[in-house]
Amino acid sequence: MAEQVLTDISALRTSPLAHMAFALQQGAVAGERGVSARELAFTTQIGLRAEPGSEAHAALAAATGVGLPASVGEVAGNAEGTAVLWSGPDEFLVVAPEGTELFDDLVAALGQSAGQVVDLSANRTVVELSGPSARLVLEKGCPADLHPRSFGVGTAIATVLGPVPVLLWKTAEDTFRLLPRASFADYTARWLLDAMTEFASPEVD
Amino acid sequence: MMLIECPWCGPRNETEYGYGGEAHVAYPADPNALTDNEWAKFLFYRKNPKGLFAERWVHSAGCRRWFNAVRDTLTYEFKAVYKPGEPQPIATTNAPAQGGTK
Amino acid sequence: MADILPEHPEFLWHNPDPKPSYDAIIVGGGGHGLATAYYLAKNHGMTNIAVLERGWLAGGNMARNTTIIRSNYLWDESAGMYEKSLKLWEQLPEELEYDFLFSQRGVMNLAHTLGDVRESMRRVGANQLNGVDAEWITPEQVKELCPIINIGDDIRYPVMGATYQPRAGIAKHDHVAWAFARKCDEMGVDIIQNCEVTGFIKDGNRVTGVKTNRGTINAGKVALCGAGHSSVLAEQAGFDLPIQSHPLQALVSELHEPVHPTVVMSNHVHVYVSQAHKGELVMGAGIDTYNGYGQRGAFHVIEEQMAAAVELFPIFGRAHVLRTWGGIVDTTMDASPIVSKTPIDQLYVNCGWGTGGFKGTPGAGFTFAHTIANDEPHELNAGFSIERFETGHLIDEHGAAAVAH
Ligand SMILES: Cc1cc2nc3c(=O)[nH]c(=O)nc-3n(C[C@H](O)[C@H](O)[C@H](O)COP(=O)(O)OP(=O)(O)OC[C@H]3O[C@@H](n4cnc5c(N)ncnc54)[C@H](O)[C@@H]3O)c2cc1C
Ligand SMILES: [Zn+2]
Repeated sequence: MAEQVLTDISALRTSPLAHMAFALQQGAVAGERGVSARELAFTTQIGLRAEPGSEAHAALAAATGVGLPASVGEVAGNAEGTAVLWSGPDEFLVVAPEGTELFDDLVAALGQSAGQVVDLSANRTVVELSGPSARLVLEKGCPADLHPRSFGVGTAIATVLGPVPVLLWKTAEDTFRLLPRASFADYTARWLLDAMTEFASPEVD
Repeated sequence: MMLIECPWCGPRNETEYGYGGEAHVAYPADPNALTDNEWAKFLFYRKNPKGLFAERWVHSAGCRRWFNAVRDTLTYEFKAVYKPGEPQPIATTNAPAQGGTK
Repeated sequence: MADILPEHPEFLWHNPDPKPSYDAIIVGGGGHGLATAYYLAKNHGMTNIAVLERGWLAGGNMARNTTIIRSNYLWDESAGMYEKSLKLWEQLPEELEYDFLFSQRGVMNLAHTLGDVRESMRRVGANQLNGVDAEWITPEQVKELCPIINIGDDIRYPVMGATYQPRAGIAKHDHVAWAFARKCDEMGVDIIQNCEVTGFIKDGNRVTGVKTNRGTINAGKVALCGAGHSSVLAEQAGFDLPIQSHPLQALVSELHEPVHPTVVMSNHVHVYVSQAHKGELVMGAGIDTYNGYGQRGAFHVIEEQMAAAVELFPIFGRAHVLRTWGGIVDTTMDASPIVSKTPIDQLYVNCGWGTGGFKGTPGAGFTFAHTIANDEPHELNAGFSIERFETGHLIDEHGAAAVAH
């Protein structure tokens, strides 16, 4: 039997929006009112807690390689590599590409100090919404001020989309990442598809 | 619909918040020493003024932190928000101002 | 609908100036204040009394509610109070000689989860033991009684059954107030509008009168029926109430042909619906979470309520929200009212009916009048004392009252 044990279980993994991949592809709207959504599955996500000013905070900031964000909206690092989102005055979320080996380093950096390092990779999935109409789609259900003057590239906040609590992160001009918890991902995707539909038709004035 | 200022996140929509009722209600130092009447007062009685009220809110869909606010219960206008431990900036019938303004 | 609205009489009550003194003063000219005055005069012969109303008659919650009347509450005390009230409703149109369109079209409380189902069945059992007409009905029976409801199992909160009280229903709230007011006036009660109580006069621990914006008025007894301002009045009088005041909203659609023959309530999805006699769909929401005296609430509460309503009644997708409004509901920690003596002699309080006091209007008036006249509660309101919060004899009706009404 021993020989038959499956050693690489990653082949069995299913992301929260795998079943929606085709629908999302079909729902993409092209053109100058275009907008499309896709899942960025299996990102590495690590929850950190440390009081600003503490040793633990300094140690974790060094260990992420990109520091820790100082206040609401700020993101340390960048969307392509390791990024750290601010989720509360002593709380942060590392988001990095699949397979990023950071967890052990962070645990070691925290050591015995007061604080927290938790692997949250399966907690939220990432939906990327992009296109000229991306902001308009979000504004149908997100009450935060998304105007570029207050929500520029590189901003991330915790807010809601419709009834769903999400992290909303603007990674480029016209590109947003939404991080709903896995169990809300299906609803979020369907909500987005519904909100995107009107942009396939010419604007009505 | 109210725009509520979280002390950490700034102005956000009311739907991101939860309400926590009267602020600055201390847990009795020695519950066993209370009479039934005093215990009832602690458990079931909260101030309910028409006007300025010091109360608790939590930014549940944002930073998930509790904070305090002074709000007018007639106009619903927020007069001040302050973090736990910070002095109450404006006097209310349920708690006096503790100095400092915001 | 089929019924024709009663002709509006030319006038229903006089508008007297306050006299210097009364045997009893009732603060608040909503349904409860008027019903209290009515039963004081009718059952206890007290006619040298006045109802003081700071605004206009029934301008508070009385004409802002969604008019649901039922008596299927869980505990014995509640069954006693609400069932008495329902029996009084059944005789009032004749007694008050006023057809205020009391319509016993039945009320169902939907169950959407297994927890709901168990709790509902328990309540039906308790109701039956207390002689309250209540039954458990299946989704198919729900559909039979209200064909427009969606009992499919593919909705977020499918209908798993309901409690049903056939004798429950609705009435036209402003007409109820006017009916009481007319009879009170006929019996010699002074109904005084634009008269706000601003303080109390006491002799030691005994109340002897009230201060108002129209001068001081002496009184042998003072009875508070100031829903929405109970805490404010109690504070002026010098005692505490375990009350928190919240906004509660409701709304109506435009007029429609009859589509909804009964009353459907769902605590779980926070909506309750009936169709008024004229044809508008009447719906109520849950309270806004914060304390508020503003008679208005937030739009997202209405929006969530509409989402739930449209899922349950897909046909409502074609209707429009015409008007929304809010009242101020005084809630207690056990979701039951206070109909009680107070720590101050000859001062009585009727409050805390929260989101569900319209149905209690006659019952409250009947028992409160008894309490005032005899300085002793009636057996039906004895349990609804202020002291219960100290003795621990709470009457927890969160299950039956739940979100509202
Ligand atoms: C939107 C909504 C929906 C509801 N739906 C239902 C329902 O379906 N079924 C149900 O059973 N119940 C319902 N209720 C609850 C019900 O309306 C109340 O419990 C009930 O009306 C309270 O009694 P009342 O009629 O005497 O109150 P009110 O009509 O509010 O009377 C109190 C009066 O006191 C007056 N007052 C206050 N302070 C003073 C003062 N200092 N001096 C003089 N006068 C004063 C006020 O102006 C007011 O007119 C609902 C309430 C709301 C707001
Ligand atoms: Zn915040």
